[in-house]
Amino acid sequence: MTTQITSARPAAGPRKGPRRRPAAPSATTVGRPGFAWALPAAVFFALFAIVPLIMVAVLSFMTWDGLSSPQFVGMDNWSRLADDPVMLKSIWLTLLLTVLGVVIQTPLSIVLGVWAAGHQRNRAVLSVIYFIPLLLSATAVSVLWRALLDPNFGIPAEATWLFGDGNLFGEQATAIGVLAFVSTWQFTPFHTLIYQGAARAVPRVLYQAAEIDGAGRYRQFFHITLPQLRNAMITSMILMIVGGLTTFETVLILTQGGPGTDTTISAYYMYDKAFRGFDYGTGSAIALALVVASTIISLIVVRVSGYDKMRSSMEGVS
Amino acid sequence: MKTRARLPRLVATGATLALALSLSACGDGNGGASGDDGKIHVLVYGDATNKVEKKIVDTFNKTSDVKVVLDTIPGADYQQKLQTIINTPQAPDVFFNWGGGSIKPFVKADLLLPLDDFIKKNPELENKFLPSVFNNAVVDGKPYGIPMRGTQPVLLFHNKKVLKDAGVQPPKTWDELLDAVGKLKDKGVTPIALGGGDVWPTQMWFQYLYDRIAGPGLFEKAVGGDKSAWESADSKKALGMIRDLVDSGAFGKNYDSVKYTNGGSVQLVAAGKAGFELMGSWYYSQQLTDHPEFAETGLGYTAFPAVEGGKGDAANVAGNTNNYYSVMKKTKHPEAVAEFLKLMYSDDFVKSQLDIGNLTTTTNTDGFIDGSATPEYSRFQYDLVADAPSFQLSWDQAYPQKASSDMHKAIQQFFNGQLDADGFIKAMQALPTE
Repeated sequence: MTTQITSARPAAGPRKGPRRRPAAPSATTVGRPGFAWALPAAVFFALFAIVPLIMVAVLSFMTWDGLSSPQFVGMDNWSRLADDPVMLKSIWLTLLLTVLGVVIQTPLSIVLGVWAAGHQRNRAVLSVIYFIPLLLSATAVSVLWRALLDPNFGIPAEATWLFGDGNLFGEQATAIGVLAFVSTWQFTPFHTLIYQGAARAVPRVLYQAAEIDGAGRYRQFFHITLPQLRNAMITSMILMIVGGLTTFETVLILTQGGPGTDTTISAYYMYDKAFRGFDYGTGSAIALALVVASTIISLIVVRVSGYDKMRSSMEGVS
Repeated sequence: MKTRARLPRLVATGATLALALSLSACGDGNGGASGDDGKIHVLVYGDATNKVEKKIVDTFNKTSDVKVVLDTIPGADYQQKLQTIINTPQAPDVFFNWGGGSIKPFVKADLLLPLDDFIKKNPELENKFLPSVFNNAVVDGKPYGIPMRGTQPVLLFHNKKVLKDAGVQPPKTWDELLDAVGKLKDKGVTPIALGGGDVWPTQMWFQYLYDRIAGPGLFEKAVGGDKSAWESADSKKALGMIRDLVDSGAFGKNYDSVKYTNGGSVQLVAAGKAGFELMGSWYYSQQLTDHPEFAETGLGYTAFPAVEGGKGDAANVAGNTNNYYSVMKKTKHPEAVAEFLKLMYSDDFVKSQLDIGNLTTTTNTDGFIDGSATPEYSRFQYDLVADAPSFQLSWDQAYPQKASSDMHKAIQQFFNGQLDADGFIKAMQALPTE
C-alpha cells in the first residue's frame, strides 16, 4: 500500500524541498493515558459482556427449561447440535447471507460514498434522503418490507412480469434474496457514511497531481480513491461480516426462519431453541459457537488485511 | 452496527436471567409470592381486555381486606416472560394462561394449586362454566384453571358477494366445499385466503380435518404421549385430504407469502379476491376495524363443514377455548383468591366482556347476549360452543409451549410439499408431550 503510493508519486516529488514540520520525533514523547482511563469501560464490558459470556458457556453444558434447576449434561447439547441437520444448514445460510451482504453492499456503498463526498448540486439533499433507512430500526424496516412485498397488494402484484405469482416468502431462493435485499437497503447508508468520510479525507493534491498527468475520472477513481479507501474498506467489511453473522431481527420478522427451516440462520436458530423451545442449554451452545466463529472470522480479516498494523495510507503525502 | 450489538445483548439478557434464576432456584423455599406485601398479584396478558380486568379488580378491592394488584405483560412476550419468572420469588399469585399444554409443564414442576378444594367449598366455580371450556384446564384429572375471558371458536368466514357471483352456497359438507373451490377457481378468484406466513392459520385446517375424520380421540391420544396415533389410518386419511385440497389450488400458490397478522389475507377476502377464510372468531372485529363496510354487509360465517364418513361429530369445534386464571401453590392468600375467582362468573363480568366483544363461557352468558353489541354473531358462537360435544384446543396450545416451533415447521412443510405424509408423521412424533 504505502509503496504503491510512493511509486505513484513522482509528480509530488518536487515538493520534497523545504521540510516544514519535523513532526515525527516529538510525537513519541507525548504521554499515553494510564489504564485508569480505560477502567470504566473495562468494568462495564466485563459486567455486561464477559460475565454473561461465561454464564452462557457454563449453560451450554447444562439442560434447563427455565422451570426446574439446571442440570449438567456434559457434551450432550454439543453432540446433538453437531448431528442436527438444521444447525448445519443454518451455518451455511449464515455464511451465504454474510457473503451476499458484503458482495452487494461494498461496491454500492463505495460508489455512493465517493459520490456523496463530492460537491455536486443537490448532493446534500439527496444524501439526506438516502440516509433515512439508517434512522429506522431493523424491526420497522422489516415490517415495512413484509407489507410492501405482499403478493396480492404489494409491489409483486403490480409487477407480475418480474415476480410471477409473488410467492417471495414461500421459496428458499427468493426468501434469501429478500433478506439480502432488505439488509442492503437498510445498511448500505451506514457503510456509505464510512466511505464518504474516508473519501473526503483523501488529500486534494493527489487528484491535482493526477490531473496534471492527464488521468481521467475513472483512472483517478481506480488509482487514487480506491487505494486510499483501503482502511475504510476493511473497517466496513468487518462490520458487515460481524453484522451478517449476527443478523436476527430481519429474519425474525420477515421469514421467521421459513418456509420450514429454509432461512433459519444460526442466530435465529439460537432464539428458536432458547426462547421458543425453552431449551436454554442448546440455545447457549449455539450462541457460544456464534461468538467464537465471529471472533475468529474478525481476527482473520484483521490479520489478512493488515488492519492490525494500522499503516497510514497517507504516508509521505504532505 | 445495530445488528452487531444485538447478539451480545441477547446473550447478556439470557445469561443474566440465567444467573438470577439459578440463584433463586438455589435459595428456593422462602416462597412468599411477590415478596410479602400482603397483596395478591395477578399477572395478565396485556391488551385491550385489561380494562375489564381492572374493573373486576377494583370491584373486588372495594370489599376485600386482601387487595389484588393487576400486573400486565404486553402481548407477544407473555409466555416467555412468564416461564422465566414463575419459579422465582417474583412469581405472581394468580396468572393468565391458555389452559392445556400452556400449564402442563407448571403442573409437572408442582407449581400450581389444584382447584378441587376451592370447588368443593363452592361448586359454582365449576358448574357456572360450560363444561367443554372448563375441561381444557384440567390436567391429569384435576382442574387448574378458571375461565376468565371470552371463547374464540374457529369459523369458516366468506365473502357473500363472491360466493353469490360464483353461484355457490356456504358449504355444509366437505364435498360442497370442494365443489365451491372448483367454481371459485373458474371465476378467477382464490377460493380460500390463507395467511400461511403466520403458520398458525394453516394449522387450523389440520385441527378441523383431524377432528372431523378421527374424532377428538386421536389428538387426545397423541398429546397424551401415545405417538402411534399419528401413524393411524385416520391420520393418513386426513393428511391425504389436506394434500388434495392444497394441490387442487384451493389456497392459490403464494399463501406462504401472505400473512394474516399484517392484514394481507383479511384484505383478500374484503376486496373480493378470495371466497373463504378459516379464522378464529376475532376475525369479525378485525374486519370491522380494517374494512367496516364489508364487515357489516358482506361478511358471512358458518361452522366448519361436516366430513362424510368421518368419525368426528360435525358439531365439534376447534379454536381457543378461553383463557384461564391459574393459582400458584405458594400463594399466601388462598381464601381471598377463591373469592376473587368467584367474580369470573358474575353478571358484571359477563356484561363488561360482552361490551367489548368477548364472548364469555359462563352459563349466565345466555341471558345477556341479546343486549350485546352484536347479538346475532354472539348468539351463533355461543350456541355453537354450548352445543359442541368437544372443543378442540388449538394444537400449538394443547402441546407444551416448547413444541410449538417445531410443530409449526412441520405443518408449513407438509402444506407446501417439503415434507410428505411420512415426514410429517415423524416430525409430529418427535414433539415433546410433557
